[in-house]
Amino acid sequence: MSGRVSASRRRVVAPRLQSSAVYIAAAALTAAALALPLWGFAMSAPQYPGETLHLRIARTGIVGDVHEITTLQQYIGVRFPSELPELRWATRAVRLLTVLLIGAAFTGGGRVGRSYRIACAAAFLAFLCAAAGAVQMRLYRVGHEREANSPIRAVGAFTPPLLGPIKVGNFTVWSFPHVGAVLLLGGAALSAAGARRSGGRVFPPARDKAAA
Amino acid sequence: MKRHPLLIVAATVAATLAVVHATGCGAARSARSLAADKVYVAPGELDKYYAFLSGGQSGSVFVVGIPSGRLIREIPVFEQRAAYGYAMHDADPRRRELLETGGAWGDTHHPVLSETDGMPNGKYLWINDLANARLARVRLDYFETDRILKLPNLQGAHGIAVVSPSTKYIVVNGEFEQPTDGLVTNPAPYTSVVAFVDPEAMVTTFEVRVNGNIDIADSSKDGRFAFSTIYNLEQGKDLGGMIQYDRDAVAAIDIPAAEQAVAAGKGVVRNGVPILDPADTPGILTLIPVPKNPHGINVTPDGRYAIASGKLSPTVTIIDAHTLKIVAEPEVGLGPLHTTFDDRGNAFTSLFLDSQVVKWNIDKAVSGASDYIVDRINVHYNIGHLQAVGGDHTHPYGDYLLALNKLSKDQYVAVGPDLPENQEIIDISGDKMKMLASFPTPPEPHDATFMAASVLRPLVKQTFTPAADAVQTGEEKIVRTGLHAVTVDMTLIRSAYTPETIEVKEGDQVTLRITNVETIRDMIHGFALPDHNLNIALAPGYTKTITFDAGKPGVYWFYCTNFCSALHLEMRGRMIVQPKDSTVTITDWHAAANVKGQVVPGVPSTGDKP
Repeated sequence: MSGRVSASRRRVVAPRLQSSAVYIAAAALTAAALALPLWGFAMSAPQYPGETLHLRIARTGIVGDVHEITTLQQYIGVRFPSELPELRWATRAVRLLTVLLIGAAFTGGGRVGRSYRIACAAAFLAFLCAAAGAVQMRLYRVGHEREANSPIRAVGAFTPPLLGPIKVGNFTVWSFPHVGAVLLLGGAALSAAGARRSGGRVFPPARDKAAA
Repeated sequence: MKRHPLLIVAATVAATLAVVHATGCGAARSARSLAADKVYVAPGELDKYYAFLSGGQSGSVFVVGIPSGRLIREIPVFEQRAAYGYAMHDADPRRRELLETGGAWGDTHHPVLSETDGMPNGKYLWINDLANARLARVRLDYFETDRILKLPNLQGAHGIAVVSPSTKYIVVNGEFEQPTDGLVTNPAPYTSVVAFVDPEAMVTTFEVRVNGNIDIADSSKDGRFAFSTIYNLEQGKDLGGMIQYDRDAVAAIDIPAAEQAVAAGKGVVRNGVPILDPADTPGILTLIPVPKNPHGINVTPDGRYAIASGKLSPTVTIIDAHTLKIVAEPEVGLGPLHTTFDDRGNAFTSLFLDSQVVKWNIDKAVSGASDYIVDRINVHYNIGHLQAVGGDHTHPYGDYLLALNKLSKDQYVAVGPDLPENQEIIDISGDKMKMLASFPTPPEPHDATFMAASVLRPLVKQTFTPAADAVQTGEEKIVRTGLHAVTVDMTLIRSAYTPETIEVKEGDQVTLRITNVETIRDMIHGFALPDHNLNIALAPGYTKTITFDAGKPGVYWFYCTNFCSALHLEMRGRMIVQPKDSTVTITDWHAAANVKGQVVPGVPSTGDKP
């Protein structure tokens, strides 16, 4: 008798706990992204053997071989962005998403809760699309909005891709999402997975039958 | 058609000769390619060993890769070197040391490496200046000379050695005798000293008085004895007087006994250094008789023997390094000067007169066996020092040997009467020695020592950590600090000097503090100022401060001497020196009418600019 009660409680509580854990994990990943580099660049050239130059874009700014890359870019007139205004709204959006995801961990299994979770996933997806767009726009501007009086004008306008290499002068520049962006993708994936679950309603009846 | 038998015979003979010729050439080619393989280091690949060669009268150290024989770096030590901006200006501490200790040139002979457990630890290299009785220390993390010491109470600082196994002292032999008490008016016999230098503090701790000319040095592997060859026990003042006796000596100084004597307050202090006289402190000096005018002294890697090379005698004298007894004196050839070792119990002795390296087995020679000579190989020509890789340390590698020959004669294309020195790399890995390759150098490597590249790999730095007095980017300035004094704080980085224009007045003393703010390796910049006897080179992160007279009124373009970037030629700036009494201010120089009329199609005339 007591066994049945306990099993029934497990049936109801366990999926809720799992769902909450998914959202807590999603929120943790999303929040952690702000403390880690979001985007990365690796630059290699023949005269930099074994010393590929790296840039990492984090919430706090641009770090890595800033000194050397600032020195180099003058030759082709690239303007090193001293600040990235995109990071301001992106930071606010990530914080908001974190709060929303924590909220999702405590929503019930009802229609309201489900709608809330779907909205969370949609918001996350929208944010990712906007962020990717902003990054691509910034990459376009770096390669296009250059000093007209630069010493070497043979290097034409360029647009680094979001992910992959591009040849800029003697350098091969790799652009790629860094750990922070990967965490955000993870957060988004968990959020999407959470939205697909329907609280404690789908699995318990199936298990009930099995138990009977 | 009938063939003549003679024709057939002739054709057969010709064909046979052709085959023999072809196979002979093939064998020769094969031998050449085998030798080439042993020393070939492909572009981009790294050498296995560093060889440090003394630069002789170049006053420097040559760093050569082994087995390739490629000259990788020259470390200037006792001579200013514009290319490296070394000791070029008065504020350079090395230049001050050089001028205070005997002049801006030197004669380097013996490079020695700091040791831990008898093997090089990659910290320091020491090198002597025979001419001016100096000892210099080179830091191996930066490959830069960091200290120069004048050795008191001696002249002709010749043989030097690290006291094994842990670099307790650097032993420096004074070759040229001095009046006993330092007074030239004293008719007493001349004498020499062996100096013991503290390797870290770079001060002479004590000296031991020894009669005769103290020549080459080594230490026993356990640190007990400092060995030196001595010639001219006759104390002759000319050539004839120096070769009268049949025997000279090897001196063995008992280092712990000497230390005790110093601690007990013995010795006469002269120029701040206690000099121990063996007459007053018995037991610190043992003299071992060897054939007259010996030269090299080399302790075997296992520490069992000290081997003195006969020079004028065709023998080497094998001395037990613990009991100081002579155990054998085998003949090896004419003019034996120095000995080195492999890892299989063989010794290699340079034969100056025979122009050969002779390989002989130590145990066989000691036991009196007649077949102790293993092999001989011709070298080109008049070999002085020789060194097998690791032969001067406790674990020889037994693969390569470097012959440092005094004459090159016909070995290189003619370059006038002043011929280069010739170094030869010999394969000693087999029973028979094999000549592999040669490389020339400027004058004049005397000796060499080696280190595995792997020892230095984690220790060598390729950029400088900016010093406390470095000029920071954004803090460059020109400040008039007195009526006739201007201070300039300057940075340089591809491809500009900041500030680019310096205005001073005739009669000013200009103090320039200049920092290379590059952070990437090998981005060296120079600062050459025409007509001011000034070029300085700055490796990344380096700061130098120099003071110079502004000179005559005029415009002086300072420029980068070290090709750095696509805008290297444009990397320059001006020092404008105003006439002393002029009230005119040269606000700026601009190209004006002087280029008007030189019209380049499609290019606006400079003179047309506002």
